[in-house]
Formats: sequence, C-alpha cells, structure tokens
Amino acid sequence: MEGRPLKDANFSGIWSPETIEAIQEKADLGRYQIRGQATKRRDLPSFDDLVFVPAGLSRMPLEGYRERCDTKVTIGEGRVKRPLVLDRPIMIAGMSFGALSVNAKRALGRAATKCGISTCTGDGGMHPEERANSAKLVYQYLPSRYGLTPYDMRKADMIEVVCGQGAKPGTGGVLLGTKVSAEVARMRDLPEGVDQRTPSRHPDWMGADDLPVKIQQIREAVDYEVPVSVKVGASRIADDIKLIARAGVDAIVFDGMEGGTAASPTIQLDHTGIPTIAAIAEAAESLRDMGLKEDIKLIVGGGIRNGADAAKCIALGADVVYIGTAALIALGCHRPIHVEDYHRMGTTPYECNHCHTGLCPVGITTQYPKLIERLDPDEGAERVANFLNAMTMEIQLFARACGKNRVHDLDGNDMRSLTIEASMMTGVPMVGLNGRVPAWRTY
Amino acid sequence: MSGKAILTLDSNKLSVHEVNLAIRKAAKDGIKTVELLNPMARHNLGVAITDPIHLVYKGDVGYYAVSLSDQVSAEIHGSAGWGIGDNLIRGEIVVHGNAATAAAPSLRGGTVVVKGSVGPRSAIGLKSGELIVGGGAGYMTGFFMQKGRIVICGDTGDAIGDSMYQGAIYVGGRIGSVGSGCRFVDIAGPERDELFATLERYKIKAPKAFQKVESDRSLWHFDKKEFEVWKDVL
Repeated sequence: MEGRPLKDANFSGIWSPETIEAIQEKADLGRYQIRGQATKRRDLPSFDDLVFVPAGLSRMPLEGYRERCDTKVTIGEGRVKRPLVLDRPIMIAGMSFGALSVNAKRALGRAATKCGISTCTGDGGMHPEERANSAKLVYQYLPSRYGLTPYDMRKADMIEVVCGQGAKPGTGGVLLGTKVSAEVARMRDLPEGVDQRTPSRHPDWMGADDLPVKIQQIREAVDYEVPVSVKVGASRIADDIKLIARAGVDAIVFDGMEGGTAASPTIQLDHTGIPTIAAIAEAAESLRDMGLKEDIKLIVGGGIRNGADAAKCIALGADVVYIGTAALIALGCHRPIHVEDYHRMGTTPYECNHCHTGLCPVGITTQYPKLIERLDPDEGAERVANFLNAMTMEIQLFARACGKNRVHDLDGNDMRSLTIEASMMTGVPMVGLNGRVPAWRTY
Repeated sequence: MSGKAILTLDSNKLSVHEVNLAIRKAAKDGIKTVELLNPMARHNLGVAITDPIHLVYKGDVGYYAVSLSDQVSAEIHGSAGWGIGDNLIRGEIVVHGNAATAAAPSLRGGTVVVKGSVGPRSAIGLKSGELIVGGGAGYMTGFFMQKGRIVICGDTGDAIGDSMYQGAIYVGGRIGSVGSGCRFVDIAGPERDELFATLERYKIKAPKAFQKVESDRSLWHFDKKEFEVWKDVL
C-alpha cells in the first residue's frame, strides 16, 4: 500500500485500492495470491443478525451465577465402545503440525485438557507432543494421508474423515516451503522446503456410494472403539449432510466460508462456500428430515468468536462448535509484541494474515526455532483455557437467561432475527413482527 | 509357504468384523498363515493387521483388502477391488488377477505386485514402497507420488506421474502421456538389471525395455514458471 494517499480520496468502488493492489501483485507474481486467516468480506450474513430474547414474565430465567446449566456433550454414545465425552460444547479445530509450531500444538493440547475438550491433529500426522499434551485428540484422515498409520489411528479419541474445509471447499491444502522444515517434511514424506499442495479428494474412494465402505474400513481399523465423523466445507450442505449421515457416522463436521486456514488462494476465501449461519440451518434440517438429529452430532465451525456465536449455533441445531482462529488469537495471534517483525512482513497486529509465510512474530504459525521459542506453551495454554472458560460462561449466560438448564435446550424460538435475510435463512422469527406475517400481506 | 499352523476361515460364514478379529488373533497367537475361503469380493477383509502373518485369499476381494496393515504378506488368488494394500507400511501383497482403481494407494512401504493390470490412479500418493504391475495401468497412475517406485510392464493411460514429488516410474509398454511436472530420464545398467531380476522373482514376463519417468521438480516451488505445466493438468 506504499504510495497510497494518506487521506480519504475519491476512490472507485470498483477499482478500489485493494483491487488495484491485487491486480498489480498478480502481475508481479504470475499466479494467484495466497494468504492465511479467513475471508475478510464484511457483507456476509453473520451471527450478529440474531439476538436472544431471554425470559421475562412469559418464561422464568435461571439464576445467572448459581443454578446448574449443563454443557456436556457425548459423541458416539451407544454406538462405539469409547464415546468422546466433552465437558463443554467446544472443540479445537484441526490445524496441522506444520501450519502450527510444536509449541502452539503443546499449548492448545494443554488448554483443551484443562477444559475437558478435544484438540485435533489437522493434516500432517499425529505429532507425539500433541498426543502427549492432549487428553482427547481427534485424528484427521485426509486426502493427503500424511503420516497416517493404523497405530496412530488406534491412539485417537475420534477419527475425522476430511472431505473439505470452509476456507476453500473443493480444494486441497497448501503449505509453503518456508514451513516445510526437516521435521515437517519427514512426517509428511516430502522433500524439505517444497511448496506442498495436497489433493482435494481422497485417493481411494470417490463419491457418496463409496463412503460407507471407507467408514467401515476405519471402524474396523479402530475396532469400533471410537467415534468416526466426516468433515466438509459448507457449500451444498443440505445434500452433503444427507449423504454423510447415510454412510453411518457418529458426527458430521462442517465449517462455513468464514472458516480459517493457514494458507489458501485469497480469491477462494472470498468467493467459495456459504456462511456458517446459513449452513447450520440447512444442515440441521437435513438431519431432522432423516430422523437422525439426536443420533448424529453436528459440529460447526467458521468464524465463531465468542459465547454468543456459539450459543446461537447451538440454538440453530449445532451440538458442538469448532474454534480455530479464536483459539489462536487467545494464544497470542495478533498480539502487539515484536511489532517490528509484523512491519517487516508489511503488516501490523490486528491486520496480519501472514500465517502462510512462516514468519509468525508470536511463534504460532512458524517452524523457525527462534520464533517458536517466543511462544511459552504453559503461558499460552493458560490464556487459551481462560478464553475457553469465558466462552463457556457466555454460552451458559444465554442459556440461563432463556430459562434453560442445559445449553443444548436452546432453540430457534429463543432468538429473533434483526434482518429479513437472517430470518429467511434460519427460520428464526423477525423482530418486531411477533410471529405475524409481514404487514404488507396482512393489510 | 511354510509355517507351524494354518488357520482356515470361511468368510461366507463370518461377518467382516469377525474375519478381521480372527486374523488379528491368529497373528497375535503366532499362527503363520490364515487361509480365507469364499472372500466373494467382500470389502474390508484384512484391515489393520499389524502383527506378522501370511494371508491367502482364495478368490476375488473387494475394496481395501490388506489395508492399513503392517508386517503382513498376502496372496490373492483372484482379482482385487479398489485400494488393495491401502497404506501398507511393511510387507508384500501379490494379486494374481487384476486390481481395480487406486491399487496400492498411499503406501508407506512394502511391495504390492499385481500380475494382471491395475485401474486408474494407482499408487496415488505413494509415500514409499513399490507397486509392480505385470499388465497395464490406468490414467493418472502415480498421481501426487511422493517417494518409492512403480513398475508397469504394459501400456499406461494418460498423465502418468502427474504432480509427482519424487520417486520413479518405469513403463515397459506405450505411455499414453506423462503428467505435469514429469520428465523422461535414462536408466542405468545396474538399475535395469535389478528391475529384470525383480520381475523374474515374481515370475512376471519382462518387456524388452523400460522408459523411466521422474519429477522434473517444476512443481516443487510455486512460482510463475509453473504455468506452462499447470495449464495441461487434467
């Protein structure tokens, strides 16, 4: 942005400074832009379009600070020998060793363990330090099959078959060479320093008809001990959910287009998939249509920032929320320390999306030993655990205020939509209408 | 095959889970060989077998036979469905018939031998080990190959070795086309001798000569020079 006028000028809405910069960068590089984090679009329907309508006189609230409000979720109950029990309806989303440093993995594992929830390997195999630090660990089974062994599958607490992700549905992963260190390369059987790109579909099955056979293979490999889930990016979500449910899984995971990534083609972040709020409504309806809403848990991610977003997800039909970016921010991502290193990359704290460079100033998304040392796993774990505690209390706050002693008793009728779009997408009644059809049809 | 004991299972009378449990128990008990009667192309027969054992399948197998396994040898007296030997770590699998799509996907080691032909996308994402094919191979065999070796005595489809990182593909017949990021290289004398010796060991008729394909490394780094190879990716 060097050379851009400091004061607001008469910028074009079409040829904005960002658009001009993008074209010029592509002209320099000869390829599309790549970056980390998530879409930066500001025009998406969001959880802020919904509000809770807590108890007043028509319903009685629970005491906000005293009365019990259950948060526990069990995945695979009555279906596998060792269901995954989560003390709170939150899981740490899949982020690979490679995308993240080993200290970040340690910190997330310790925080999740403190809070009785799970963390997840991501694409790159199960790092021994992650297993050692995570009491509950979800093992991702991906198209790349990096580091996959039956031994690690048996060590897992859930297997998640990944068919896509919200940040870039329909596309494989990217890990630029600066992050393919000797250890990352060894775990993935790749040449050190290569710009790694992974396949978008699994090597040995194709389509929904084959999925039940793959699920059976995985269940055989783990001897029906632990739950099996399938993850997709939210796009044709209503149909995808039905096809996954039919394959006989214990949980379905998806993230909306707000989902995070360590590296993705920038243009894809902004132009693929559908927003999380829209996807949940479709997904929950699919499971209800099949009569499987109680049997198959719905795990939802993509842009979830706080307990309000999480509570709204649950009220719309999610059983658990996945958090990735929020957990990293709690860990120290965007923290205004080592600011000179942000500047060296041409960015600043709060604006940074340079996970793909491997030069993370706070030691989270890097493989350089000197940067990794900047992240103290114990301090990081405490910060993430604090955030998880705060987020859980926020979820309970809404449930109690709505008179519910289980957070999973929240439902669509506990909310109102602030926008027509949100109301139409979610079925949550529009504010100000008290359930009436719009006035122009009444009068 | 010598061994102190042979266990015979009739897969027609057992569930898939019972077959897998019986094989695992036999391996733990030190039984050398399990003979599986009537596999009848059922899927997932022989999954996650990780103690040493020899498996003899008396007929065709379905998807993912001898998959997610380690230290296992197997002979399949018939043809195999998709993903034979999926993710094998160590061991040897010999298929006497043909193998369908994605034979030997993402091997971590060991050897898969198919005396007939294999379908498309075979040895996809190969991480180590080798696939040896007496007949031909379908399109995109060796796609995203990372390490290891593929030997194909017959003809191939298009885009062989597309986007491969490392490893080597040897083809004795006509190559439909090589994929993006590949090149032909010469074969050294000792390398050729070792190839023929390997085929002789498995009693596979060797072709007169082989062509060798490997990565040209043009896709290793994501810069603008790669557009020339990207534009033709299938």
